[in-house]
Amino acid sequence: MAKKNETYAYPSLGERIRTEWKIYLLAFVFILIADSIGKIEIPCGAGKFILFPIFYAIILGVVSGPEVLKIVESKQVKAASKLVVVGIAPFIAKLGITAGGNIETILSAGPAVLLHGFGNLFGILFSLPIAILLGMKREAVGACFSINREYHMALINNIYGPDSAEARGSLSIYIVGGMVGTIYFGILASAVAMTGIFHPEALGLASGVGAGIMMASASASLCAIYPESAETISTLASVGETMAGITGIYINMFLAIPLCDRLYRVLEPRLGRVARKTRQGEGKENV
Amino acid sequence: MRYLEWLFLLAVGACGTGLANFIGYGVGFLESLPGLVILVIISMLGVACTKCIPLRLPIVAYCAIIGLLFACPLSPIREFVITSASKINFTAPFTMVGAYAGLAIGDQLKAFIKQGPKILIVGILVMTGTFLGSCIWDSLILKLSGAI
Repeated sequence: MAKKNETYAYPSLGERIRTEWKIYLLAFVFILIADSIGKIEIPCGAGKFILFPIFYAIILGVVSGPEVLKIVESKQVKAASKLVVVGIAPFIAKLGITAGGNIETILSAGPAVLLHGFGNLFGILFSLPIAILLGMKREAVGACFSINREYHMALINNIYGPDSAEARGSLSIYIVGGMVGTIYFGILASAVAMTGIFHPEALGLASGVGAGIMMASASASLCAIYPESAETISTLASVGETMAGITGIYINMFLAIPLCDRLYRVLEPRLGRVARKTRQGEGKENV
Repeated sequence: MRYLEWLFLLAVGACGTGLANFIGYGVGFLESLPGLVILVIISMLGVACTKCIPLRLPIVAYCAIIGLLFACPLSPIREFVITSASKINFTAPFTMVGAYAGLAIGDQLKAFIKQGPKILIVGILVMTGTFLGSCIWDSLILKLSGAI
């Protein structure tokens, strides 16, 4: 596989199929199983949590992997990660069509759509102080500046270097996000909707966090909760995601990373002491 | 990836979506077909954009924009596109993505467990903060601009 990595992963389409056929086959088997089980709705207070077939498909995928059932090898795992974007592209195209059909919704949301990307900066304020309290050092900067999908990691690697603590932090959150992100965003969106504080419009727009699969999961839950606003939600989720994708790279580069860096310098001397003290209290040594 | 590889993989994905649409929502494959073809065409145009336009935008951004253009009021094929795409249930293409995504993280399970609870907490906070922050921010702007 590593032979012709520079330009194309495979010398020909035939070669690709020979390596990846098992992935396609498994994906079809997972679809058969997952969609036969179907959606499961769990009522909870004023709202509900919804389990979607994608959740079962993810779990089936992990379980088939080289660390559990060993149905697929590492080589195929590497190949599958390239296929995620192929799967997500038509899904986003479908959302784009919904958005085009409801273009008046986008126009009426106007400024909110354009400025949407800045909302992601709040994630830093939410997570960085606690990361420092938990005793994380420079890793916290890479971990907290964004939800750390592929392009965020690329950015961090670019700025701090691939061997840096920041890049390690980013990778950690990338792994966590990959493992639990899709399912968590579905639950999170349901939980936030349940509070009743936010309009479906805002919830839909906010689903566009800059990770296609997480946006999809959040908006699918929201559509199930607010069926009468489903078109609006998926329209705004789609434009939110697109805006986050377009403005995200600049917001991350020029705002999120410097902000996170600065905040770390301000908070670490104060909160870091608490973290160290707690640890020393536990260990009762090195005063 | 070459165009041919993209086309092949998108066709495989379209079959998966069609299957999910049939099993999950009882929509026959032939009924799904026009919608699936349109989604593949838009995705292929998105691929062409990433190859030809020197901006570093992700392919999904192009797909969303092209999809929007296909279905916007100025598009001559608007009705056909919207009707065909509406046959594909919102979450139908999604199971295939989950299958790939699950397989793709199959070798990270040990790494995930090794990360320990601290990283999990921070990860959950980052995700919560990003979504909740966006909800607050978007609500604010929507309110200020009088949209809601």
